[in-house]
Amino acid sequence: MILSRSPIFQLGVQSASPLAVIVGVYLLFAGHNNPGGGFAAGLVLGAVVILRTLAGLQKPTFGPALITGGTLLVVAVAAAPILWGDAMLDQKVVSFDLPLLGTVKTGSALPFDIGVTAIVVGLVIALLDGLSTSDSLVSKGNPA
Amino acid sequence: MSTLVAATILAPLTSAALGMAVRRRAELRDLATLLGLGAAAAASLALLFQVVANGTHVVRVGGWHPELGIVLVADLFAALVLPVALTIIFVVELFAIGQRRTAWGANPELAGPLLGVMTAGVSLAMLTGDLFTLFVAFELILVSSYVLLTHQGQRAQIRSGMTYVAMNLLASTLFLFGLAFVYAATGTVNLALLTERIPELSDGVRLGIGAWFFVVFGTKAAVFPLFSWLPDSYPTAPTTITAVFAGLLTKIGIYAMIRFHTLTGMDRLGSVMLVIAGVTMVVGALGALAQSDVKRILSFHIISQIGYMLMGLGLFSAAGTAGAILFLVHHMPVKTVLFLVGGLIENEQGTGSLDRSAGMAARRPLIAALFAIPALSLAGLPPFSGFVAKFAVISAGIEAASTPVVIAALAAGALTLLSMAKIWIGVFWGSTDDADIDREAAPGNRRTMLAATGLAVAGTLTISLMAGTLFDLSRQASDDLRTPDAYISAVLS
Repeated sequence: MILSRSPIFQLGVQSASPLAVIVGVYLLFAGHNNPGGGFAAGLVLGAVVILRTLAGLQKPTFGPALITGGTLLVVAVAAAPILWGDAMLDQKVVSFDLPLLGTVKTGSALPFDIGVTAIVVGLVIALLDGLSTSDSLVSKGNPA
Repeated sequence: MSTLVAATILAPLTSAALGMAVRRRAELRDLATLLGLGAAAAASLALLFQVVANGTHVVRVGGWHPELGIVLVADLFAALVLPVALTIIFVVELFAIGQRRTAWGANPELAGPLLGVMTAGVSLAMLTGDLFTLFVAFELILVSSYVLLTHQGQRAQIRSGMTYVAMNLLASTLFLFGLAFVYAATGTVNLALLTERIPELSDGVRLGIGAWFFVVFGTKAAVFPLFSWLPDSYPTAPTTITAVFAGLLTKIGIYAMIRFHTLTGMDRLGSVMLVIAGVTMVVGALGALAQSDVKRILSFHIISQIGYMLMGLGLFSAAGTAGAILFLVHHMPVKTVLFLVGGLIENEQGTGSLDRSAGMAARRPLIAALFAIPALSLAGLPPFSGFVAKFAVISAGIEAASTPVVIAALAAGALTLLSMAKIWIGVFWGSTDDADIDREAAPGNRRTMLAATGLAVAGTLTISLMAGTLFDLSRQASDDLRTPDAYISAVLS
């Protein structure tokens, strides 16, 4: 990649990415009651992927799998309540006591948000893939 | 019934995800896509029968009250237009499967899943009961359309794709601003609540909101000064993609306009709409006459036809709105079929240019017949559906004594017939020994493509046959929109 020869950039990205991942995961969980959510988390994690690719640290290729998995998860969470006779996208909220963390409240919104995150990150990876290679989803290719 | 509503959105999304997973295995991918799109189309048809029998059905997503959450409203208008739209996408996907081996075919690894996403967006746009979800649905449709339009990466596609993206981003930004205005003025974006609250606003604010959304939806629908992005971008895309865009995308804009402006009683904007409708019709028809390529001629006709629907809406009478709805139902399949036939022509001749192709009527009489029926329908000749739709709109215009726009509509109709004759003479008549014909054009699976086109033509003929029933339903849908008490109480109670 273009910037792989700059050790400052590479080292900077390398040391910043764990922190950024923590921020992303925080946003994912915070989104239930505070600003954040699956989409914002996906953007932060997607930015990490972009920076790491630019720095030549990695080149993930599992974008389409993430998109597929994320979409299926989102659809499943949206459709599941219909089976129980509730409205589409209805939520189940559960709370339980954990050592150290105290009472934790979560629900079916969490897998939905995780699905959204997966779709966003997957799209970012697919985009990078399309920009960097000739044999990819976004290339013109030969229609098979 | 709630399950049916959910199925029209979730089934195509599921098929998109599955199609993505097995995108390298053609049979499985096509099966997943066809099943998803077919299920959505079947569900929407069942929904139409349910709504006709039992009236408006409302789904509260997540069980929230409409003041707080999202509602999906299957009223007669939505239930009438949705099956037409979803069936079109299904038929085009069938055509795409037959066409894939040609240079004009869309890359099926992308087209299948993205059509699924777009279908979900179309269903959501039609069923949604609030403006913000409408915005989300528009974005869902647009994001997939950006990729579908440009994925082959040809120079012309990228160039016109830029205009397309820029115009649509502008419209989306204006939409978002408009949402903020509406929310600031009324405290809600729910359509049923807006129907109650917007008429209470002062005239300036009310008409300002109406005019703002007229610009937003007008850009999406390609009405007169805002249409420039359409005839450049549509013809460059692969045939199947153009067929879907032509049949659906601008129509979603008109659909949103009919719903929003009728429900909120923007009658005072009617005269502006009528002027723009008249200009749109004539400019589109004249533009078509100047072109010499099948797909470009047809693209200009999209604009011209949008004018008729806008005219029906702009009359703000029960008959006018009913005419606009009927026109919408007639226009979507006819336009799609014409583009599919355009694809067949390109496939046979290696070009869609009128100068370089001739003699199709002798060599391929079936294609000629498949072109003639929707072309005559588009021009508004009896006994086809176009006649009924145009008659409904124009008679509503006469009833409202809006003579100038009626004259414009009749003139545009004559011009349409003229440019259809131009295609007919250029492509179907003449001798076949033209050295310019590209014999290298790969034939694709002609039988599948012909079958899909035939199916679509049969669909438009069915609409002609059922014109009476459809007109009654359009009339009822228009009454429901114009006196929205039932709509409001269905959503809010």
